[in-house]
Amino acid sequence: MSWTLVRVDDRLIHGQVVIAWGGRFAPSRIWVVDDASAANPWERELLASGAPGIEVTVCGVAEAAAGFEAERARPGAAFLVVRDLAAALALREAGAVFPVLNLGGLHHAPGKTKLNEYVYLGDADRAAARRLLALGVRIEVQDVPASPARPLAELDPSVSA
Amino acid sequence: MSRVPALVVMHADLADALLRAAAKVYGPVDDVEVLSNEGLSRGDLERAIDEKVARWTHGGLVLTDFWGGSCHMCSAVAARGRGEVVVLTGLNLPTLIDYLHNRDAFDAPVLAERLLKKGQDSIRLQRSQPE
Repeated sequence: MSWTLVRVDDRLIHGQVVIAWGGRFAPSRIWVVDDASAANPWERELLASGAPGIEVTVCGVAEAAAGFEAERARPGAAFLVVRDLAAALALREAGAVFPVLNLGGLHHAPGKTKLNEYVYLGDADRAAARRLLALGVRIEVQDVPASPARPLAELDPSVSA
Repeated sequence: MSRVPALVVMHADLADALLRAAAKVYGPVDDVEVLSNEGLSRGDLERAIDEKVARWTHGGLVLTDFWGGSCHMCSAVAARGRGEVVVLTGLNLPTLIDYLHNRDAFDAPVLAERLLKKGQDSIRLQRSQPE
């Protein structure tokens, strides 16, 4: 079973991941793939504490790509969360093959334009999205399981140009 | 003993609503700040919380909704290295009212321990009684 959710979310571990998606799929493991967090022991401990009862691994892109296929064969469900589309692209280009990428939260920041209440994209985000789409990754915009999933290209046709 | 300040950080407009409800029971509420996580990235929420707790000279309480949510996680980051700033999750109305009644009587760490117990004790089951 393993990979049930591969998600872009700038909040990393938080309520939507642990309660909404976690309530739906009951993951045994969550991988937080974030180079900055992985380099900070205190941050790793905080992220692990945010999902009681779930094994949390905080690691960098290279380590996650190396362990991606082995995780696929493990029993139970697993989630993977990255901070932004650039990290998702780095993970894919490092060898992790995932057919669907959930775009669950990229909040407002200067220079970014609004797609909906929880997704704002800038030029770098769009460039990464285009590359992911070209690699065959389907990008679905969806914050929680109870909301409909919409293709990113439907909300922002410029990414498929 | 100086008053222990509080910042209530919650999803949507829950913090505002909780304060309004508390005012109905306790009376006018002052010296409590509120913050919503709505529309904020993790970094922006951390900064917003940090700006408020940085003004506290003798510590204070950050009161959040649930453990593991962005309000809690970002509050934990803002409280890091500030020993007298304590983060409490699972805030409910009885606990908020207990804070208002006791914020001038204890320092922040002691008050936080009191509120932890108050919050846990306040969740009770009213079983149906035979007619």
